[in-house]
Amino acid sequence: MTTLHPSPTEPCRILVLDDEPLILLDLEFAVEDAGCKPLTALDLMEALTIVQNHAISAAILDVSLGKGQTCEQVARTLAAMGVPYVLHTGDLDRMDEAVRGLGGTLVPKPTPAAVVVARALESLAIRPV
Amino acid sequence: MLHFDRQVPFDMHDKQTELPLRPGHTDQAHTAFDPAVARFRAQHPEDTFDGASGVLFEQAMAQTRMAICLCDPYAPDLPIIFANRAFRHLTGYDEHEIVGRNCRFLQGPGSDPAQIEKMRKAIAREDVVVVELLNYRKDGTAFWNALHIGPVYDAEGKLVYLFGSQWDVSDVRAARADERHARDLARELSHRMKNMFAVIGSIVNFTGRMRGIEVEAREINDRIQALGRAYETTLDDSHRGTVEVGQAIRAVLSPYDPDGTRIAFEGNGLRSDFASVSVLGLSLHELAVDAIRYGALASDSGRVAVGWRRNGTPEEPVIRIDWIESGGLPRDTLPGSAGGIVERMLDMAKGGIVREWRGDGLRASLNIPLRNA
Repeated sequence: MTTLHPSPTEPCRILVLDDEPLILLDLEFAVEDAGCKPLTALDLMEALTIVQNHAISAAILDVSLGKGQTCEQVARTLAAMGVPYVLHTGDLDRMDEAVRGLGGTLVPKPTPAAVVVARALESLAIRPV
Repeated sequence: MLHFDRQVPFDMHDKQTELPLRPGHTDQAHTAFDPAVARFRAQHPEDTFDGASGVLFEQAMAQTRMAICLCDPYAPDLPIIFANRAFRHLTGYDEHEIVGRNCRFLQGPGSDPAQIEKMRKAIAREDVVVVELLNYRKDGTAFWNALHIGPVYDAEGKLVYLFGSQWDVSDVRAARADERHARDLARELSHRMKNMFAVIGSIVNFTGRMRGIEVEAREINDRIQALGRAYETTLDDSHRGTVEVGQAIRAVLSPYDPDGTRIAFEGNGLRSDFASVSVLGLSLHELAVDAIRYGALASDSGRVAVGWRRNGTPEEPVIRIDWIESGGLPRDTLPGSAGGIVERMLDMAKGGIVREWRGDGLRASLNIPLRNA
């Protein structure tokens, strides 16, 4: 994937989706600490817009987004584009089978933000550039 | 002489007596003579019962609280030819309204066609079947009917009747629904609690980052998250008011052994009250952090065995936890936080810890009062 490093000077972009702003804030810091550029989304539409308009390298997706919404559509889009993602969820048991079947790395909530980001980047590191 | 299929559940009679009866459908057992039994015998003189067993059978039919009916398998549409008192009582119909009709007159809009089909197939195969079907009384009220149907053969093995027993299981169904509801509620609560701990963790983290005290924030956060894991296990058992100690211990220590190869657990189903869980969880978290820093979990070969059991006296029982490290880096003295937070916490809970350094790891025994009454 050529978008892994858009240019030698530009850091890779990480999409972070969570309907809880405080968790989003924490993850945003952690992504910055890892030397990447966070692109944050609070809901599904925002995340889809980001995916369409930016070349992202990896994503951290909260599974259940409230009001019965899940991240499934974003996950499908990313999977189709070959972008790795982790599913960050407090509800591994109840999670929609459709989302689980997409094959993202599962990271249970709560996990320290630095670890969540490390898991997201780890799937990136093993990918052939 | 009749031979009832062995699978026909006359033995259920004993269990039934323990079940509460619904209001308005009081127990009619032990009331006298049921004329329906006599009438049936008069109309079916060929099916007489011999001697004492015949008398017992008639009394059983009349007095059982299980609704029972017999159908004629050879007449068109399998009409009921006998219904005992309990059947009439359960359904609210009189004998003349029952006899001659197919059992389906009890069905209504809420009766599941799949269950009816299952019943129909079993009858066609002369099979025994149990279904739960929503049925309706004469007054229109619905009840869940556990319907047991089977063939009755004569001495020559010829099918003579279809036997049907009915039992109102509405209360059982309601209890089952309550249980499901409670389970759903516990799961929702668990989900929300995990999310809440995740949010608390985020707040501690970014506060620490913005204040430039990431290390301190991390230490605080790790303790909070350990507490969250310890409490998480309490939700599954919330109705019992106690926690399984081993479950809490495993939950607290799980992140320190992601592959499940370094920490061995040994204990029984010892239970404790919720209040002990916080101290217990945090103490083990601190021991694990120490072990990772300079104990057995600092080296690849090191292991920890954690055991828990009931100890102390019958009057003053305690939870005893043994933490035994092995295979760690050789060291002469006891490193770590002796006199630190674990000592303070356990002391406050009227418990204690004894630490001993064995050269390749820590041996610690912890005590905390067991309150599980």
